[in-house]
Amino acid sequence: MLRFLASRLFRAALTIAMVVTFAFIVLRLSGDPAQIIMGADAPPEAVVAFRAAWGLDDPLWQQYFRYFAAILNGDLGRSMRDGRDAIDLVAERIPATLALTIPALFIKLALGIPAGVVAALHRNSFIDRAVMALAVAGFTVPSFVLGLLLVLVFAVQLGWLPSGGQESWRHAILPVITLGVGGAAVLARFTRSAMLEVLGQSYIRTASAKGVPWGAVVRNHALPNAAIPTVTIVGFMVGSLIAGAVVVESVFSWPGVGRLLVVAVANRDLAVVQCILLLVAATMVVSNLVVDLLYGVLDPRLRAAPQGAH
Amino acid sequence: MHRRNLFAAPLLAPLAAPALGRAQADNRPSITVAVQKVANSNTLDIARENSNVGTRHFSCYTEPLVDTDWLETLQPRPGLALSWQRRDARSVDVTLRPGVRFHNGDEMTAEDVAASFGAERLMGGPSGVAARVPNEVRTAGRAVFPGLTTEVTGRHSLRFITERPDPALDKRLGHRIGIVVSRRAIDEAPNWLSWARKPIGTGPYRVAEFRPDNMLVLEAFDDYWGGRPPLRRIRFVEVPEVSSRIAGLLSGEYEFACDIPPDQISEIERNRAFEVQGGLIANHRFITFDQNHPQLRDPRVRRAVSLAVDRDAIIAGLWAGRTEVPRGMQFPFYGSMYLADWPKPRFDLAEARRLVRESGYRGEPIPYRLLNNYYTAQTPTAQVLVEMWRAAGLNVQIQMRENWAQIQAPGPDRALRDWSSTVFIADPVSNMPSTWGRHGTYPAGGEWRNEEAFAAADALETEMDEDRRRAAMRRLLTVLEHDDPAYAILHQAANFTGKRRDIRWRAAQSFLMDFRPGNWGV
Repeated sequence: MLRFLASRLFRAALTIAMVVTFAFIVLRLSGDPAQIIMGADAPPEAVVAFRAAWGLDDPLWQQYFRYFAAILNGDLGRSMRDGRDAIDLVAERIPATLALTIPALFIKLALGIPAGVVAALHRNSFIDRAVMALAVAGFTVPSFVLGLLLVLVFAVQLGWLPSGGQESWRHAILPVITLGVGGAAVLARFTRSAMLEVLGQSYIRTASAKGVPWGAVVRNHALPNAAIPTVTIVGFMVGSLIAGAVVVESVFSWPGVGRLLVVAVANRDLAVVQCILLLVAATMVVSNLVVDLLYGVLDPRLRAAPQGAH
Repeated sequence: MHRRNLFAAPLLAPLAAPALGRAQADNRPSITVAVQKVANSNTLDIARENSNVGTRHFSCYTEPLVDTDWLETLQPRPGLALSWQRRDARSVDVTLRPGVRFHNGDEMTAEDVAASFGAERLMGGPSGVAARVPNEVRTAGRAVFPGLTTEVTGRHSLRFITERPDPALDKRLGHRIGIVVSRRAIDEAPNWLSWARKPIGTGPYRVAEFRPDNMLVLEAFDDYWGGRPPLRRIRFVEVPEVSSRIAGLLSGEYEFACDIPPDQISEIERNRAFEVQGGLIANHRFITFDQNHPQLRDPRVRRAVSLAVDRDAIIAGLWAGRTEVPRGMQFPFYGSMYLADWPKPRFDLAEARRLVRESGYRGEPIPYRLLNNYYTAQTPTAQVLVEMWRAAGLNVQIQMRENWAQIQAPGPDRALRDWSSTVFIADPVSNMPSTWGRHGTYPAGGEWRNEEAFAAADALETEMDEDRRRAAMRRLLTVLEHDDPAYAILHQAANFTGKRRDIRWRAAQSFLMDFRPGNWGV
């Protein structure tokens, strides 16, 4: 188990290092932060002074190693926009993002999994087609279109809910629905596929032939076996809790990590972008680790299998 | 009420009156203004937040020494400075308005003004609070007020002195970065950032809360020298998507929605409860030339680029007719420095074709860098332009870029690019020398240089005789727009703000939003 964890952690660290390096290269080669942050009308001397103050006039490799060494020492750097610690900037935005993504995750689970199960149990019926039509619609409509549509109906036409901002729980309703609907659609499709595959297995036929009530067959045999692919998707969803609402936060003017990421990338504010990427990568790695452990809980064969067999 | 209290009531009434007055203040409306961005730099000192988005609200809390009539004439007028008198070519005496209060209760004195224009706030220095002033602020200060020093001559009077003759010194005092702030507030702030996020100025509203990338909340400052502010609270909220700003306006959440594109004006005004205000602002949109690009070395090709543009068609088609073609890189509010006989850029396709033929241009690609709608209608304008240039025989190819650094980056594919120029004072020194002068942004970037233009720009900055200054301006425009073209002007820029129709408020000829007494009513 320890070797398994150590190997996983090593791969995770390698992944994070690659993400950080890639982001550094792309951001630094696609625009001069000094010119971007200082603005188009800034006097040339101001831009030069800015570069010198932030070490942007050093060779790129020096900047890279300096940055990497700082990360290893636990220093994630400062925002070039206002000099504040990047970690503080990101940390103060996380609650706002979680206020959207956690309720949205519950909506995804509460709608998506039952819908997929129901559709599979009524395969090729009207219910199946209706659920899948809704799922395809929810999956294919981009979140910014759905968000604007909801705003037009519930804010502009009906006046029931605010169109944007973050002042009360009412402001969170539309963005949470926008986030939740798309994810629920994805989960419904995956759950249906997984259920259909399991329902076609011989052990399901055997259980039914033994006279086990259909409800019990589904509950005790089909659902646990169909859960593995669904858990994988849910793992990804949990992993994207921190930065999974970039578009929705922009549409609804929600000041979370997603908006901070957009602004930081646009300004080439390297420390802030990297800080967010590190957090996202770390969340994703932890989430995948938990998913791996859950596989073992859900499928005793995986628990008994030698490491690396799956 | 007890009898004792009943007797005391008349005696206490005068004491209670101000409190009642404050209570009445609660009846003033509070408004929400949806903006695309509150501040680029996450600070509120306009010398650091040197941007259009900062211009929108800075004068609500910090005022320039000399006011500008943004609603009508765009001319300087008394504000914190009651009067100003030119003493000689290098100095101006300023008399301050007495009794002006800062948001911290202090009275504004000449010492505060000197600190605001001096090392403590603008120019920086090696020690004390001056050492905290960021480099970006220092360079902005030096660019707008070159070689400026002040000399306090009384509690409410001081002298502004420059190193060399400066014919526009008195006008520069109205520049947006020349705000007056409390010296005590600068001294007491634990660091520069905490001061710059809550500057203590003299404006009609004080900063109550600033959440970077989110919102700015201002509250009425009832001791404002210009009278009681008409609004109790103003919230500037950041709504990056234009469709979300419009939706919020129409649903009643915002009283104002800024940066409305011209093609959305009719959509908003279809609802009779709303209107779109605004129009021309002191900014010209143009396309710049890199004179070193092989296809643009010949000035005839650059002239052809300008002559091939049917500006009226662009204005009618993409701007709903709500902007104009200017008479060159200048504005009528320059007053005596405005060359009223300077011609508007011409549309002459036949002449453009002739110049292209004469130049020997053979259809080689001419790159054209632009951002995706940073400027209003930027991308559709570029697409129309490419077709207009094609009609003249010019093969211009659009290259979309993501940021200004990519737009300005030197290289073999830098030829044409979009740009705009804003002026902040009623004189051509506001933008001409800093852009096309000897040390201007274009020569510094290696895109364009012309010794004759440099000499004319120098004269514009230092010549005290107005006739000679006018001649220098004429010479500068001749070089820039004909002899050795540096740019092709497209049109004057315009800015549109959606609002509730029942609010009586007028948009300024600027990005600035004026919520002072006199520009509000419902």
